[in-house]
Amino acid sequence: MRITAEAKQETRERILQAAKRLFREQGFDTTTTRDLAREAGIAAGTLFNYFPSKEAIALDLILRGLDRALLAHEKRAAPPGSLEEDLFGLIAADLRGLRELRPLLPPVLETCLGASRRGDGGNEGAEALRVRQLAVAGRLAERHGAGEAFSAVAQQLYWTLYTGILAHWSRDDSPRQEDTLAYLDATLEMFVEWLTRSAPARRRTP
Amino acid sequence: MNLDLARLMAALPERETDPEIVRKLGKPDAGLGEWPLPGGLVRRLSILGTLQAKLAAAWLFLWVRGWFQDAEAREQDGIETRLRLALDVLEAMSYLRGAVMKAGQFLGSLPEIAPMEFVQAFERLHFEAPPMHYALIREMLADEIGGEPEEVFAQFEREAFAAASLGQVHRARLKSGEAAALKVQYPGIARAIRADFRMILPLLLPSRLSRDGEGMRRILEYARRAVERETDYEIEAGVQERVRGLFREEDGIVVPRVFQAHSSRRVLCMELLEGIHLDGLLARGPSQAERDRWGELLMRAWYRLFYAGRMEYVDWNAGNFLFLPDGRLGLIDFGGVISFTPEEWELMRLADRPLTTGRAEDRLDFLRRWSGPMDEEKDADFIRLADAYMEWSWRPRAAGGVFDYGDGVDLRRGVDLLLEFLRRRTGRAQPCSGLITRWEFLYRGLLYRLGARIDVRRIAEEEIGAAGWDREPYRGV
Repeated sequence: MRITAEAKQETRERILQAAKRLFREQGFDTTTTRDLAREAGIAAGTLFNYFPSKEAIALDLILRGLDRALLAHEKRAAPPGSLEEDLFGLIAADLRGLRELRPLLPPVLETCLGASRRGDGGNEGAEALRVRQLAVAGRLAERHGAGEAFSAVAQQLYWTLYTGILAHWSRDDSPRQEDTLAYLDATLEMFVEWLTRSAPARRRTP
Repeated sequence: MNLDLARLMAALPERETDPEIVRKLGKPDAGLGEWPLPGGLVRRLSILGTLQAKLAAAWLFLWVRGWFQDAEAREQDGIETRLRLALDVLEAMSYLRGAVMKAGQFLGSLPEIAPMEFVQAFERLHFEAPPMHYALIREMLADEIGGEPEEVFAQFEREAFAAASLGQVHRARLKSGEAAALKVQYPGIARAIRADFRMILPLLLPSRLSRDGEGMRRILEYARRAVERETDYEIEAGVQERVRGLFREEDGIVVPRVFQAHSSRRVLCMELLEGIHLDGLLARGPSQAERDRWGELLMRAWYRLFYAGRMEYVDWNAGNFLFLPDGRLGLIDFGGVISFTPEEWELMRLADRPLTTGRAEDRLDFLRRWSGPMDEEKDADFIRLADAYMEWSWRPRAAGGVFDYGDGVDLRRGVDLLLEFLRRRTGRAQPCSGLITRWEFLYRGLLYRLGARIDVRRIAEEEIGAAGWDREPYRGV
């Protein structure tokens, strides 16, 4: 029997909804792929036709959260500020969008999103996220006249800082994760200062 | 107090802290918090990057070492380790950067310091938070009061119009139409400050101390608790409302209303008062009569809190007062208000007698109650110094008539007495006395800058009368 693309999509959606429920109710670590298959109403082996691991399911949920966050951020009528401020707004919107998925971040960061994962070809979703984040940040840099400075090195540094902030936030036990806001503020101040200061020097290099 | 720079710098502990020693040392003091404390994530930049800051730190460690000069060699090792750790903590306390640099500048110019330099140095001894851009403010408000500025307020100014200790202040308009000032705290700074103070105090005062040293420990512990209160805007809002209830329309003193629905532990929303600070007032060249009138309002505000509220407005920083165009005085910051316990209040009432009579024997009587039993012979130096300080401190009221706060010679005398106390490392007093001393020099400094002449006794008598306090048991005349 051939399964239509529509049916595939519907099953995939069922798995994701089941995962969202179970991860929230019983935690990521204690939820097995067998639990997820049962909750989604599919055979245990079928689940692997859709996702290679439960970390991949968590990553998908996170990517969707980030998509929603980006949409919300772009819809926001906030007037543009400095590059530092705009990047802050962008990442803060991501954190807000991921708030209810926060417990999923540590395993996903460990297995899929680490800075060292770049180019290992192991995870298309993670690579897509990296590309998208860098594209959005690059547009902001461009708007503030720092497009040229946002070179491959700067992009790698930005991605490292971004995943570092996610990692910190995922385990931040301060009230309302206020420490992450301070960390993000200090990190972006440092990054933007480096980016804008080093730009003319790099242009001079033949 | 004159030391050459090399000797002074030698007072700074060596920088390398052996992790093994730290491990052996364990927790600094049971019950004083976890070890090590994380200290939050306020920017951890070195504050000892300038010579002035190093000078201030060197004086601090020289002063602390004085407590332990008689300790045995074995104890000295432990003390040095703790001091090294204390230096590490101090260096991370970036919100003290401005204060430490100012203190260093001040200490560097001793003993020739002019009254105005002293006043300016004292005014800068407060916490400083990094500035916040609008995106950060927006996140803070969303977290703290449940919505972004545009959702919660009818209008919100993106640029801060004033700095506050621990944060900054923005203008806003509530949906109900009232103009508001919104004080927003930098994220994590309150926890960082509380954690750092919990950590550094036991490191500075670690073990067995003399009687004076024990007194100093209690003073610093009291100051630490005051810092904890100061970093919680919910507590401040409660004090502000209490103080607001002490003033009537005809007093000419106004305390802004708190908008509780838009406030939290890290956000304080209050009625906006439009006025100028002391610098603005002085720039307009006010007449002596204007200076005196403002001085009287300031003094009345303080006495009202004291006698009617049993509180002390400790933080007489110029930024906490607004001079309104309609002639009213605005009080706008209540983080530094201390409320007296019944025991402290009883002691404060006992001061009424020497304050009223101005007699040396009444001061001495009070000193015995304030500082505990004393040996007339062995403690002769302390008694002489304490009496001179009380006489200086209380003269504006005890002498009666108009007192000229613009007299630099008088202020300089108080500074000399304070420095003498610091030299002697005398800590024989009530725990609240450290903060009261800070107030003493802040208020003297502010009125010195204002150049006000005030009949302090008249105001005190009026306020005591209005508070309905039966003075007979305390009067002594």
